Amino acid sequence: MSTLSSREPLFWAVQRQRNRGVIGLFVVVIAFLALYAYLFPGLFTLGGFSKFTQNWFPLALVAMAQTLLMMMGGISLAIGPLVSLGAVIAATVMGTAFGVTGAIVAVLLAGLVVGGITGAIVSYLRLPAIIVTLAGSFIIGGIALIILPRPGGVIPAGFSDFLAGHTPAAFGLLVVIVILWKLYLATPLGLGIYAAGDNPIGAFRSGVAVNRVRIATYALSGLLTTLAGLFVAAQTGSGDPVIGTPFTLNSIAAAVLGGVSFLGGRGTMRGALAGSLLLSVMINVMFFLGFPPVAQYIAQGLIIVGAVAIPQFTGRWRRS
Amino acid sequence: MPAPASSSASGSVMRNLLRNGPFLTLLLVAIVWIGASFFSRGFGTYGHLRYILELASIIGIVAAGQTLVVIGGGIDLSVGAVITVTAITLPMLSPAWDPTGIFGIVAVLALASLIGLINGIGAAFLKVPPIIMTLAMATLLQGFLVIVAGGSAVSVENAAVIWLGSARPGGIPADILLWVAVMVGVLLLLHRTATGARFFAIGANSIAARLSGVNVERTTLLLFTLSGFFAGLAGLLVLGMNRQGYVGIGDPYLLTSIAAVVLGGTSILGGAGTYAGTIPGSVLLVTITALITVVNASPGWRNIMFGGLILILLLLSGREKQR
Repeated sequence: MSTLSSREPLFWAVQRQRNRGVIGLFVVVIAFLALYAYLFPGLFTLGGFSKFTQNWFPLALVAMAQTLLMMMGGISLAIGPLVSLGAVIAATVMGTAFGVTGAIVAVLLAGLVVGGITGAIVSYLRLPAIIVTLAGSFIIGGIALIILPRPGGVIPAGFSDFLAGHTPAAFGLLVVIVILWKLYLATPLGLGIYAAGDNPIGAFRSGVAVNRVRIATYALSGLLTTLAGLFVAAQTGSGDPVIGTPFTLNSIAAAVLGGVSFLGGRGTMRGALAGSLLLSVMINVMFFLGFPPVAQYIAQGLIIVGAVAIPQFTGRWRRS
Repeated sequence: MPAPASSSASGSVMRNLLRNGPFLTLLLVAIVWIGASFFSRGFGTYGHLRYILELASIIGIVAAGQTLVVIGGGIDLSVGAVITVTAITLPMLSPAWDPTGIFGIVAVLALASLIGLINGIGAAFLKVPPIIMTLAMATLLQGFLVIVAGGSAVSVENAAVIWLGSARPGGIPADILLWVAVMVGVLLLLHRTATGARFFAIGANSIAARLSGVNVERTTLLLFTLSGFFAGLAGLLVLGMNRQGYVGIGDPYLLTSIAAVVLGGTSILGGAGTYAGTIPGSVLLVTITALITVVNASPGWRNIMFGGLILILLLLSGREKQR
């Protein structure tokens, strides 16, 4: 009886605990959003909102993909090439008899398979994730180059208009993905992500199928990454074998801004989403203020270091 | 299970050798070279081997700093950017009143070490994880480089750097001699000094190291400064061989330096490893690249072969301990 009645408060207590680390980030994100809305009032029209969320969407997806791995104590340096792979598969298959549906299935399957293989190599061959995905980035990038040696391919205009036109379809898709993530987190495989990241040996001894959790997480992360590639192809109207390159660093930056730790077991998806939103808004704001692209590099570097260093300092002040 | 006393000494030596990362990597290099010389005419000739060693000396020197940082439990993702910085700024820092070019070299190495030191300050005092600190540094440097160089290539007039890239005292290229000096220095530092022992200590367990009296902050600063210094030194060699610098010239050396370290059997988790493994690791990487060039495939297939071969080689030397 008591377990039933205490269930609801416990849920909110857990949520409060999870929100604690990211409240500062939320405040910063809202401040930047307000600044952006002030500079660009068109944000509140349907078209403006759609365009804004479309710029954010692929970054949000790769940030989620990277966060999944980092929470589990892994990392991927192959996010960029995998985005490219998704884009070139979409652009090549859509022109064939398989059509749009076939292309979507092929892209998602490619992500699942590539991610699954990476996960299997990391868990069964016991190779460090950072070096496996480093080597993997060459292999995946190579496959993308073979499929489509130079930018091209076909994306039907109807598909582009649906995903990247004047409708907030991308935002709707993101909401669906977040809801699905919440449901996944309630399954044993989802819960196992935190357990395997925090203490793999302890998790294994407590009955978590650590290897299966790892492979499933890598597969899921691959799926989100190629989905971002599909969207980028729809956005640009073609496939490009190197279009994903910046996403590797940006995915890590967004996750780190969102308070996800490299050591595993710590971090929240809402933090990563807020981190990716902050990065996306920042790039937009600097663009509107007329910063040269060079200053964006420098600002991005400083902000990433600041985002990690400042909580360390405030934590030290609080302790002393 | 303890080995029975009757087991022959030679058997255990054999087993130790097969578990020895550096030796395995060296064996691999020998096998690849011998195998390749059968399939490709001219691969085993003295001139070609010398050329491979010259290319390997650059990777080997970058990887020297990377090995130290990885042993200390970190990683340096800014080495590529530091090489580019060295290559771009050297002509600007070589004044006309110094015909030898020594001043320019000293200034550039100081700059590279300073960048490393800033990385170290971030990692040691701001407590930013090294992977983020050095990644952010690489992003930052990229921004500064575009401001400084403006996207155009610079050519080198510095006499000392040109000498370094082309001279052959006693028939041996100067860059290989420099690499040998780095090898001796790094191996002595790592395995024969207290400082080297501290590197291993903070990599294995920084809290235990601190409690045993190691100044973790100072050691971290030293590690990253050394990594910046070696990246700068490698940048000079790159410039000496290419005779010109441009933005992006150092990019390929980031991944290869990390791969050389891991292929050499140094644990990416820190606390275990040796530069003696990184040396054959560097040679192996250059050999693979040369082999792939010989095969004459499309860029896509070349990338796949490079990644696939690294992955296969890692199975021999890069595996983590069984849990």
